[in-house]
Formats: sequence, structure tokens, C-alpha cells
Amino acid sequence: MSYPARILITFIAVIIGGVAAATADDDPRHERHELMEDVGKAAKPVGKMLKGEAEYDLDVLMTSLQTFQNVSTKFGDLFPPGTETGMDTEAAPAIWEDREGFEQALADWREAIDAAITAKPINLEDAKPVAGAVFKTCKGCHDTYRLADD
Amino acid sequence: MSRVRAAALLLATVIVAAWWLTEPRPMSADELPDHAADATAGERIFWAGGCASCHATPVDGKRAKDENKLLLGGGLELDTPYGIFRVPNISSNKEDGIGDWTMIQFVNAMQRGVSPGRQHYYPSFPYTSYAKIPATDIMDLKAYLDTLSSMPGQVADHALEFPWTLRRGIGAWKRRYLDTEPVIRFETASPPIEQGRELVEGAGHCGECHTERDSFGGLVTDRWLAGAPNPEGRGRIPNITPAGKNISEWSASDIAYYLESGFTPEYDTVGGTMVAVQENMARLTKADRDAIASYLKSIPPLENQAVE
Repeated sequence: MSYPARILITFIAVIIGGVAAATADDDPRHERHELMEDVGKAAKPVGKMLKGEAEYDLDVLMTSLQTFQNVSTKFGDLFPPGTETGMDTEAAPAIWEDREGFEQALADWREAIDAAITAKPINLEDAKPVAGAVFKTCKGCHDTYRLADD
Repeated sequence: MSRVRAAALLLATVIVAAWWLTEPRPMSADELPDHAADATAGERIFWAGGCASCHATPVDGKRAKDENKLLLGGGLELDTPYGIFRVPNISSNKEDGIGDWTMIQFVNAMQRGVSPGRQHYYPSFPYTSYAKIPATDIMDLKAYLDTLSSMPGQVADHALEFPWTLRRGIGAWKRRYLDTEPVIRFETASPPIEQGRELVEGAGHCGECHTERDSFGGLVTDRWLAGAPNPEGRGRIPNITPAGKNISEWSASDIAYYLESGFTPEYDTVGGTMVAVQENMARLTKADRDAIASYLKSIPPLENQAVE
């Protein structure tokens, strides 16, 4: 193949690849966003119970904790190099600059979730400290590893 | 000859007028209310006012957290288009802090932006908001600050660009932008709304970020709390009037809960510069947070500014 043709093909491949990456559902930037949306949706009914706006229900709490647990085990793998920016990601550069700290924040989250699942709190009073600890890890991680909202 | 004399007279008039216009205007001690300052009440103003967010000495280059917020040795640097502002020591240290200030000196700093040496402070210190705090609250705040640790060490001067180095000019700016009157006047307001007004317009100095500024850096009060460009990063500081894009969906209790916990109704968390603000608001009472929410639900709704 001639040199200019090779350049042209490479160029086209890069464009196609770029467009595919920017739109694909399985792009980690898309996936991690969706997972966080799931976490938010699962947190909502728990928050209502903690605030006393909804009747306490252990099943509701456990279902939400299960969602958190599922997300927390795969979330850390969704920040490969090359996904620092683009697709409106709110991931902060700190994730790549301080990977260890980020992994630790995720470990703290998993630990709090596991503790709440093990506790199986039968009433609101028992649920408050363990569920509150899980919520605290959300904020703890976001403060450092997520960009501010627009 | 007479022309020269007229020019000289004109010049002299201009100089005298400029001098008069830019003069610091502190209160005198007999204007202070008769009030026994109460440190416990002052702690509320300390957190509402966010004093620690700027004056707490940074730890390892980051803003102080938790109990370190009470170590007010200053030293934070604010990098702005005017140059670098260095936040001073306001600890109870008598040489390097403000431990030997009198009550009237403290009130004049907080509410008139005038130092004990009769110099103007730069409005990076939000005294235009603090001017709207009841003076008795300011006196309580001093009593509280007096109980905190003494921190040695003076902070270097600001490093500003000319002409911002000319402090005297701030006097003219203050004549236009410094007043003690409420921003929003309610015809009939319940006590919680008035309590919220004092916290939001005064100590909380919410307008300093959430309201646009004009070309002289003064707040555009017609656009009160309707959002503004973010001075420290991307995007905009949100509109928090009842018509604000996101907050219009929030109930008063959602607002109060956000200030307490940092969680939005969608269980996203507070971000950016609001993190430090929310953590301060979490130290207030529920009644104060509810009052802030009532006020924010009662102010004129303003549509979001079309983003350029």
C-alpha cells in the first residue's frame, strides 16, 4: 500500500473508532454514569425512610444495599486510561492522579455496605447508623473524585 | 492668569471631593447597641458566616477540615483576576491575630470594611453582606472568636495588580455598594422568613456567589440569587430562586435536608465550593436551616439567565 493510502486508512479508522467510542453504550464513561444513576435511584427510598417520610421496611433497605453492592464491585474498573474526559464525564482528574486514594474510597464504600447488610437492622433506629455510614461514603468519595455540578 | 487660577481651583476641588468620597466611614463606639456579648450565640454566626472556610489555616495545601477549622491563622491564597489575596490571621493572638481588638474595631471591620488603622478592606472579605447582620450578632461572634486558639504568625500582604493596589478607591465603591438595608423586603413575612433573610443575606453571604456582578464587581440585586458565572471553575453557580432550574423541584424540606446532609432529592451529593458551605450549614440548628429554606421559597422567582 502506498504511503498516502495508509495514512488515509489510518485516518478513517481513527475517525470511525472515535465516533464509535463516543456513542457506544458500553463506553466506560457511559456505563459508570448509568451505574451511579442506579445508585441514586436506590438511595432515594432509603433516604425517605431515614428522614421519616416513609415507613421503615427492611426489604426496601436490603434491595437498595444489594444494588449498591453490585455497583461497588465493578465500579472501580470503569476508569481506564483515555476516559479522563469526554461524554460529559464528571470524573475528577484525581481518580487518575491518586488511584490508591480512589480505590480506598471505594473500599470504604464496600465496607460500609457489607456492614449494613450484615447488620440487617429490624427497625429505623438500628438502620440509621449503618445506612448513614453508607451515605457518608458517597459524599466522602464525591468531594474528592467527582467534579462539581454545572 | 485667571485661567491658571481657575484650573488650580478646579483641581483642588476634584482632589478634595475625591478625598471625601473615598474616606473610610467607621461607626463610633457609642453607636454600638447595649448588648452583653454571648460566645455560644456567636458560634452560630461563626458557622453561618463561613469564617473558617477562608480563615482556617490550610493543612497540607488543602482546606482545613473538622476541628482544624477552628485554627484561624489564615494563609489561604485566593487567586483572582485582581491578583492574589492572602487571607489574614483572625485568631485570638494579640500580636498576629485580632485578639487585642476592641468591640468597635471588630464591628467596623465586619460591617464597614474598615480596619483598626482606618484602612479599607478589599471586598473579597464579604463585609457588604456582613453589614446586614444585626450588630448584636457581630458582638456575639467576637465573644466566640475570643474563645478560640491563639495562632502565631502574620500572613504576607496581598499581591495585587495596579490599580487595585490603591485601597483608598474602595471608599467610592463602598458608597455605591455597602448598605445595611435588606435586599428583599417582604410586605408580610413570618418570623422564620425574616430569620432566613438574616442568615442568607447577612452571615451566609449567599449572594456573593449566587448573584451576578456588574462591571464594577458589585452585586446586581435585581438578579438576586438568580445564578452567576462560576469564578473558580467551569459552569455556573446555580439559580436558587424559586424559579431556578433544579431547585424549583425541591420542597422547603428538601432544601433544609440538603444543607444538613449534602444530599439532593435525587441523592446526588453537593459539589465544588458548595461542599464547604454545606458542611458549615450542617452545624446550624434545624430551625435555622428551615428558616433559610423558607426564605429561599419566598423570594422573587427569576428565570435562569440564558447562557452565552
